[in-house]
Amino acid sequence: MRDFIVVGLSHRTAPVEIRERLAVAPEQLENEVRNIATGAIFDEALLISTCNRVELYATSENPTEAIQTARSSLASRLPDAASKDVLYAERGVAVVRHAFRVASSLDSLVVGEPQILGQVKEAFDAARGAGTAGSLIGRCFSQAFSTAKRVRNETGIAEGTVSVSSIACELAKKIFGHLDGRRTLLLGAGEMGEGAARTLRQTGTQLHIVNRSEERARALAESCGGRVVPFERLTDELAEADVVIASTASPQFILTPELMRAVVRSRRHRPLFIIDIAVPRDVDPRVGTMDNVFVYDVDDLQQVAEENLAVRAREAAHAERIVEEEVESFLTWRRSLELAPTIVALRKQFGEVADEELRRALGRFQNLSQSDRVALEAMSRSMVNKLLHQPMMQLKASAGELDGAQMIDAVRRLFDLTNDDGAETEASVEADAEAIVTQLSAATASGSTSESK
Amino acid sequence: MKSGLFIATAALYGIACVLYLALLTRRSASMHRLPGIVFVSALGAHLAFLTLEGPPPGDIPLADISQILSIASLGIGIAFLLASYRFDVTVLGAFVVPVALMLFLASGLGSSYAPVSPRIESAVLTLHIGANILGLIAFALAFGAGVAYVLQERLLRRRQLSGLFQRLPSLDVLDTIGLRAVLTGFPLLTFGMITGTFWLLRADGSEFYVSQLLGLLAWGIFAAVLVLRVAAGWQGRKAALGTIMGFVCTLLVLAGYVVRAAGGSA
Repeated sequence: MRDFIVVGLSHRTAPVEIRERLAVAPEQLENEVRNIATGAIFDEALLISTCNRVELYATSENPTEAIQTARSSLASRLPDAASKDVLYAERGVAVVRHAFRVASSLDSLVVGEPQILGQVKEAFDAARGAGTAGSLIGRCFSQAFSTAKRVRNETGIAEGTVSVSSIACELAKKIFGHLDGRRTLLLGAGEMGEGAARTLRQTGTQLHIVNRSEERARALAESCGGRVVPFERLTDELAEADVVIASTASPQFILTPELMRAVVRSRRHRPLFIIDIAVPRDVDPRVGTMDNVFVYDVDDLQQVAEENLAVRAREAAHAERIVEEEVESFLTWRRSLELAPTIVALRKQFGEVADEELRRALGRFQNLSQSDRVALEAMSRSMVNKLLHQPMMQLKASAGELDGAQMIDAVRRLFDLTNDDGAETEASVEADAEAIVTQLSAATASGSTSESK
Repeated sequence: MKSGLFIATAALYGIACVLYLALLTRRSASMHRLPGIVFVSALGAHLAFLTLEGPPPGDIPLADISQILSIASLGIGIAFLLASYRFDVTVLGAFVVPVALMLFLASGLGSSYAPVSPRIESAVLTLHIGANILGLIAFALAFGAGVAYVLQERLLRRRQLSGLFQRLPSLDVLDTIGLRAVLTGFPLLTFGMITGTFWLLRADGSEFYVSQLLGLLAWGIFAAVLVLRVAAGWQGRKAALGTIMGFVCTLLVLAGYVVRAAGGSA
């Protein structure tokens, strides 16, 4: 029976040196997944590649062998020194659960980070472009997307950011609305400040850098696209900036209340957001009490990060429940799918026997009128339907149960349905099957009403 | 039938209020359209109520405090919908919609017609009241944005950055709404003050002494907010607090009329 497999590595099992060896550039994804799928024993394949994980999802009639193939194909690209233990493999329902958790950002390095969903979508688009995403992968991943959406909407897992730089950025947005065209002043070109400045730069702010050593400032300005300003112009720059990131190594306060009072006056009370990530601090705490000046230091930002992480951890439990619900609903779909071809085959077998007998009987009665023939045909059809009604109801009822597969298996063996119509294409069988399932459920509904009468 | 419609409208406003407050205090993405839907139906009911309850033909339009309050609350509702569409600030409903509800409820307290003899310039009276209603609507929006600004600024200073802080708009947007609304409302209020004084002199009614003073105070506050904003670059919390105070003064002016309507005039 066709089943899911996944083989891959992630931040949980492999260090970045190994992950980057396997990573596939987004524009290469489609080719790569096509290469993997051709010739191999996979029916379907999908390749996710981010900086934190590389995973190959596939379906195959022979999952055990498929896992081996996938494992060796990924392992061949690992550095020789790397242990093969970095690769994990799952099959069956565990794969579906894993896909849902990955898309919902529950398996991410930073739980709740939003990028992963887009990356999984890219992977899915690539697989579809390569023609390697069929009905099972298709269903699994579209449900993974809706699971991720539910998790996002129904839990607080994505609420609040958790890195100091992005928290600073979020706060700036909450003060200034949009950051396009605003100006960031980086005071001191240390590493910490650089991170925050880069994040702000990405949101479209201009970057001015003031540093005692202009050399260092120049290097940073070049790599981030900023402008170096001499230290003497500090007061003017403060008057024009919107966000100030202070990260100098100065032992004393640089932004004193006296200096800032003059600055606030000359900037006509426009709001100013100061992020003090220097230790010892660059900004006198009294500056934080001034009107329209907002000062956050490292501890504040760190505290926000920790609070947000705690919220996320709490919400993750809720998210896991949602994932379980969705996995359950996927399994129900899967089981009903297996049921459907069985029903098709069963109906077909009964129908063929009945048609054959009817043909022979009609051959013997030469002098029947047209209406008699019609009546006989109707009788034959109705006998088949009545005989099949109860078994179908039972099959349908068991579809949602855990042992549904056993019942289907029994029916298939009883009526020898095993090797029926293997030639039919998967898609059309599934389409037919789904149509029949819906017909059946309609029949079930009418059946129950007639029983109650 | 008509009082039934009044109760239905008030109930819808009330439900919308609760929903907007819920939108502010808890994360519930599934129902973020619901408050808007209820609020729009409240406005619909209100409009129906106004149409059925309209003044008998021949009356001077807008001379009845009950009708003034009713129209003002409807106007605030419509203006809020437009603003929330323009600035994406649906959460401000938590501050603006209660004002609309309050004015609507006050409109049910009783009628009090302005002491006007038919011969006197009734057009001036209508202009005076119309301008003041429009000004009130603008100030109500400014008030909502101002309250949100003060709240948001406080949360930012106290480092309470989860929940409410995340749902309120940015300080910049709130300040912009406050500024634009006051800029719109102030000329209207000024015009209302001038026509009001003119009419009062003609009608020779000196009994509105307290209301006059409060109105003047409100005008002074808004003038100060605007002047300081433009001249001294005053913005943010102080401007928001000034706007809130100004709006409270204008509400007090109205409250004076309502109290008279509810029984003081007898």
